[in-house]
Amino acid sequence: MLRPEDVEQAVKTGGSTRRPEEGITPCFKPGDTVRARNRNPVGHTRLARYARGKQGVIHHDHGVFVFPDTSAHGLGDKPQHVYSVRFEARQLWGDTACGADAVYIDLWDDYLEPA
Amino acid sequence: MSTNHHNAPESEPALRVKALELLLTEKGLVDPQALDLLVDTYENKVGPKNGAQVVARAWVDPAYKARLLSNGTAAIAELGFSGMQGEDLVVVENTPEVHNLIVCTLCSCYPWPMLGLPPVWYKSAPYRSRAVSDPRGVLREFGLELAPNVEIRVWDSSAEIRYLVLPERPKGTEHMSEAQLAELITRDSMIGVTKVTLDSKAGSQA
Repeated sequence: MLRPEDVEQAVKTGGSTRRPEEGITPCFKPGDTVRARNRNPVGHTRLARYARGKQGVIHHDHGVFVFPDTSAHGLGDKPQHVYSVRFEARQLWGDTACGADAVYIDLWDDYLEPA
Repeated sequence: MSTNHHNAPESEPALRVKALELLLTEKGLVDPQALDLLVDTYENKVGPKNGAQVVARAWVDPAYKARLLSNGTAAIAELGFSGMQGEDLVVVENTPEVHNLIVCTLCSCYPWPMLGLPPVWYKSAPYRSRAVSDPRGVLREFGLELAPNVEIRVWDSSAEIRYLVLPERPKGTEHMSEAQLAELITRDSMIGVTKVTLDSKAGSQA
């Protein structure tokens, strides 16, 4: 339980879900074309529904983070790489979207497949 | 306000929060004093003035700006900022060609150490759904019309990274000090729904 005397330190420190990268190989690298998997789990996920099945490009590898789909249900950290993936607005929303625009979504390895 | 407001029950979310807090306290999971301190911290101590300091420094110090864009978390720590919901911070830069906009479509993820707690509209379903599907329409409602050739990058911070927009420094501010610049930098400009202008007043936002 968080005690009043520990609040200041807790606020300053927070609690990153970043994990060491040693031994965890990324499945993708910046520039790779990927597809967000069409996964529809019953429980918690951070894979936005609007991205499922859509194609994007890896913009950046953020490093390794705890996997929410398992950790939220007490099923372990399952740490893996998280990438910033660029999806063109027209890929997500069709031709009415502005051709110049894009959405960047942070996605875990388990959410992605090669495209 | 309704005429019988003194008899009106509290809103459903308020009642639910009270019930939850009571239950968690009775079960010994939460110390209400610690909760009060947390609320006080984010209501009175941490807010957009932190972000404004960071942006103003980046505007006057190119080396700091480069560090901020390459490692946001480390660069804000140089100015004494860190912690909850800012553990892994990425700063994205607005330019004449690129405009950045922050949203969390999942809930309300937001860079607390830089901006405090999110405004109500940021947490609303319409903002969360339309920021990704119709960013130009959303910006128009905030009074910002962008040319079709300006690229909008929407950052959906639904994972563990938190984002902050580095707005463009307005023209006509060359003579201003870092402290004067910080006064212009609004919360909304660091979310990316507005630009910083000579008329912006950081203190007057709702």
